[in-house]
Amino acid sequence: MATFSLLVTANPYSSQGQFSAIEFARTLLEQGHNLLRVFFYADGVLVASRLHAPPADEINLTKSWAKLAIEKDIELIACVTAANKRGIVNASEAERNALTGDNLDPAFEISGLGQLTEAMLESDRVITFG
Amino acid sequence: MSKSICIVFNKAPYGSQAGRELLDIALMAAAFDMPITAIFTGQGVYQLINNQQPDILNIKNHSATFKALPLYDIEQILVDQNALHQFNLSQNDLLGIDELQYVSADVIKSRIANSDFVLTL
Repeated sequence: MATFSLLVTANPYSSQGQFSAIEFARTLLEQGHNLLRVFFYADGVLVASRLHAPPADEINLTKSWAKLAIEKDIELIACVTAANKRGIVNASEAERNALTGDNLDPAFEISGLGQLTEAMLESDRVITFG
Repeated sequence: MSKSICIVFNKAPYGSQAGRELLDIALMAAAFDMPITAIFTGQGVYQLINNQQPDILNIKNHSATFKALPLYDIEQILVDQNALHQFNLSQNDLLGIDELQYVSADVIKSRIANSDFVLTL
């Protein structure tokens, strides 16, 4: 049994990376491994918006991540620098930057790159999905 | 002993944010005292090229931060010799960083194989 963390940089809906990451996360948990943290970076942070509205017969990636996080108690963390510049903000970042609204899905947290480094220190494997 | 990381720069600068965002990961990991090797291979060798002028494109120039890697205790900086040849570049075309090591693909392979984590974007 190993402890994993995931680094997800894939643009949601534009590429397969996020779908693969969710399947990988589910499977490693089914096999009895631990998943410490999923860290979203680069274009991967875009999935943390609660405003995605894909067609009804397609998978909603944000909700898929949220379901996994709630059921299995997994941390979903988006890098603050990557998120802010791509328009993904929580209430406090919206206020700090004088923006008209926030859009972070409640299953996700905004934090710094240090959370990725910590994940490496505390995990046996970090797998990137780009 | 702390876990070691290889950070692999394999994309040219400015066409994407990959180089800049990978550089941020390197600097953060260095702050946690993790032993880091920065590897420049493929089009990634262009990250180190001298006299970059991305301001023409209204893009921020991150290349000066590569010069600062040794200040962050990132002193293992490997440049793929074959990639330089492939793009008809010489050592004189690159930023003046004393710590650059020009190495073969085999050296890069073994460094990656011996690292706890390998990151690229």
